[in-house]
Amino acid sequence: MDLFSNLLHGIAGVLSPTTVLLLLVGVLSGMVVGVIPGLGPSAGLAILLPLTFGLEPVQAIVMLAAVYYGAFYGSTISSVLINAPGDAASVPTALEGYPMARRGRAAPALVLGALASFVAGTVAAVLLTVAAPAAASVTSSFGPPELFLLIVLGLLTMIMFVGKNWVRGLLSVMLGFAIGTVGVELGGSQRYTFGSTELINGIPFIPVAIGLFGLGEILWTLYNGAHRQERAPVDVRAKSAFWPNRSEWREGGGAIARGAPLGFGMGIIPGAGATVSSLMAYSMEKGISRKPERFGNTGAPAGLAGPEAANNAAATGAMVPLLTLGIPGSASTAVLLGGFLMWELKPGPLLMEQNPEFAWGLIGSMYLGNVVLLLVNIFCIPVFASVTRISLPTLAPLIMVLCAFGAFTVNGSIIEVGIMFGCAFLGFFMRLYGLSPATLVIALVLGPMAEDNLRRSLIASDGSFGIFVSREPSVVLLCVAAALLVLPLVAAPVKRAVGRRFANRRANDSENARSADTPEVEHS
Amino acid sequence: MRKISVSAVLTTATMVIATSACGAGTETQEDAEDYPSQELDWTVAFGPGGGNDIMSRTMVEILENEELYPEEIAVENREGGSGSTGWGHVLSQAGDPYTISTTSGSFLTTPLEADTGWTYEDFTGVGLFATDDTLFVTPSDSGIESWDDWLEFADEEGTVTVGGIGTVNVDFIIQAELAEQAGYEIDYVPFDEEGEMQTALLSGTLDGMVSNPGSILGQVEAEEVTPLLFTGDEPLEALPEVPTPSEYDYGEMASMPRGLILPPDTPEYAREWWIETMKQVVETDAWQQYLDENYLAEDVRWGEDFEDYLDENATALEETLQEHGAI
Repeated sequence: MDLFSNLLHGIAGVLSPTTVLLLLVGVLSGMVVGVIPGLGPSAGLAILLPLTFGLEPVQAIVMLAAVYYGAFYGSTISSVLINAPGDAASVPTALEGYPMARRGRAAPALVLGALASFVAGTVAAVLLTVAAPAAASVTSSFGPPELFLLIVLGLLTMIMFVGKNWVRGLLSVMLGFAIGTVGVELGGSQRYTFGSTELINGIPFIPVAIGLFGLGEILWTLYNGAHRQERAPVDVRAKSAFWPNRSEWREGGGAIARGAPLGFGMGIIPGAGATVSSLMAYSMEKGISRKPERFGNTGAPAGLAGPEAANNAAATGAMVPLLTLGIPGSASTAVLLGGFLMWELKPGPLLMEQNPEFAWGLIGSMYLGNVVLLLVNIFCIPVFASVTRISLPTLAPLIMVLCAFGAFTVNGSIIEVGIMFGCAFLGFFMRLYGLSPATLVIALVLGPMAEDNLRRSLIASDGSFGIFVSREPSVVLLCVAAALLVLPLVAAPVKRAVGRRFANRRANDSENARSADTPEVEHS
Repeated sequence: MRKISVSAVLTTATMVIATSACGAGTETQEDAEDYPSQELDWTVAFGPGGGNDIMSRTMVEILENEELYPEEIAVENREGGSGSTGWGHVLSQAGDPYTISTTSGSFLTTPLEADTGWTYEDFTGVGLFATDDTLFVTPSDSGIESWDDWLEFADEEGTVTVGGIGTVNVDFIIQAELAEQAGYEIDYVPFDEEGEMQTALLSGTLDGMVSNPGSILGQVEAEEVTPLLFTGDEPLEALPEVPTPSEYDYGEMASMPRGLILPPDTPEYAREWWIETMKQVVETDAWQQYLDENYLAEDVRWGEDFEDYLDENATALEETLQEHGAI
């Protein structure tokens, strides 16, 4: 209980009219940055960090926490509305949220996203309070071999993205890996850079994702002639168009309950946490769903809510290594760490002991950021959702400009805008030939990480693969990987058997669900 | 931002044309007296919150607080390509005394790695202020408590696994130099970021690593890691008992130059002005406080001396990297 009083003190300590104002400003400016395609939480923090230099440390941290959550949610908004994810972890949101928006369920998708973030943020804040010390010991046992295995787990989840069409799926993965090889490799020599300074750090993920999803989608829509169709008339003020309906609640709720602890657990692992957790939540939801065929097709609320919850809980989980070990667990926390130095705080295992009011203030303000985000969004979602009422001939040019702007802003590089346009065409042809852009993007993110960690492990072990079985955490991860591979084989017959037994009950269930739903027009 | 720099170039160009039209000599003198009279474009070649950014912002704050620079200073983060974007921008402003930038290790190493279109030789050096040295640490549970213990351990193991940030980077060179001079073999594991490297060390994948004092001292205080050697010339003030390479008769170790540069062909009066001004900056308490807080070793060299220092370090870096086949 002592811990909870710490948390309450943390919240009380940062609560004042000034900080509430800073929270509002932070959430809104974070959202504005995050809504720009390609600009996710870490970019948002980096862009807005200089704004906080003039503030007191506690005020600065309150504002940054607000920016962090605002930018997180901003990426959700752009993923759902214009299919342009701001970071790798939002790819599932785009996969499920955008189809929902296309059939007039944009506001419920955004509400589910906001609630998933809020609930996951709350659960994670409590877990952080209770489990931080224990979680820290897990973190410090994750060296390169464990990171490699964890990333392999993430890659295994792509099986779920690929579905039955495994040849095309494999081709998409290989394309992603291939793009990921560009740049200076671990040993210092260059691969496919042709001496260009623009390419020494590799082909960045963000312009690729914006091109493949955002702009690629527009090209695909034009090719399909969907722009000539009338959009579903949606009255965003109507209750039924704003709140998720009963089946969306039920699917989303379960997914949130599963995604939050998963995300927190993965978030405490430095490096791969957020992305891998969101992908795992997605494949888990698809795996246990009764209607997996809706995933990535007409939009499944569970596939949106689960990864969103996992993503958000992972963001809080990433605070565990930062606060207890002084080790940044993600790109965003690395920016925060830079801020710590700026405010003359010494990151390290003693941070919580030496500056308890600061550490708890940080946790408290992350929680408050979540609350303010939810409140702000209840009012803002109808406005955002109205975007779906704009006809495509009007919207498409705007999205194109936003995509180009977003690709440029991240690093101020015109080359990246070129990469974005190139990937738009790549995305178009991938859709045309039934390849999977989502798989490519994930392979691009995870491939180089897997390569680097594999090579680090092998350098450390003098080339022996024994390093993967001689360390306890590695063995645990190997077992999980084996289970993931075997489970689907075992699960199918079990599922069928269970399915038969409950066939009658399920029929009743879906009957009920259908009658509770408001009638919808499918537009995909 | 671009607009400003374009207008700055135009103004400078007009001034140059005007002065040359009126004949040389005296006019340049006048120019020198007027300098500085315009907004300054301060390029940070890395993102906000990093070491380079913190130094730049500290300097700008001092220049503003002490009213040393009469006009506005616009700090702009031009990151990308390990510094090549930012310093490429400075290069493109040749002759403009209103563009300035700070240096770090990548200033020497990035041109070795890629075709940046510039090297350190292109720029006009104002001065070196400090160097970033590193702390060599081992995990506390390894039982290694001193550099002698480490040498013994390395001898027993045959080959030790050590880590640092990057390959074409100062960290690698330090590890290679230490191993060579002390006579042990290493497997060097490069990392992209401090966090991953620290967990690798704590999880037992690495035997030892080098790290910036600022980012590792927290772990030292918590006794998670043991500091064995500080690669600077003088012991670190915060850890006076940790030896330096000179105590073992090793040669001078590579370090990151924290200096200030102007674009190529900047008029001499501008460099003189900056040297005089920065001499006042390094005397301030705020600057000393910055050095202490970031565990930087003060190493002041002006103008030509700074350029000679860059020359010396760049050659050494290149030789070591070539020897180890990294470039």
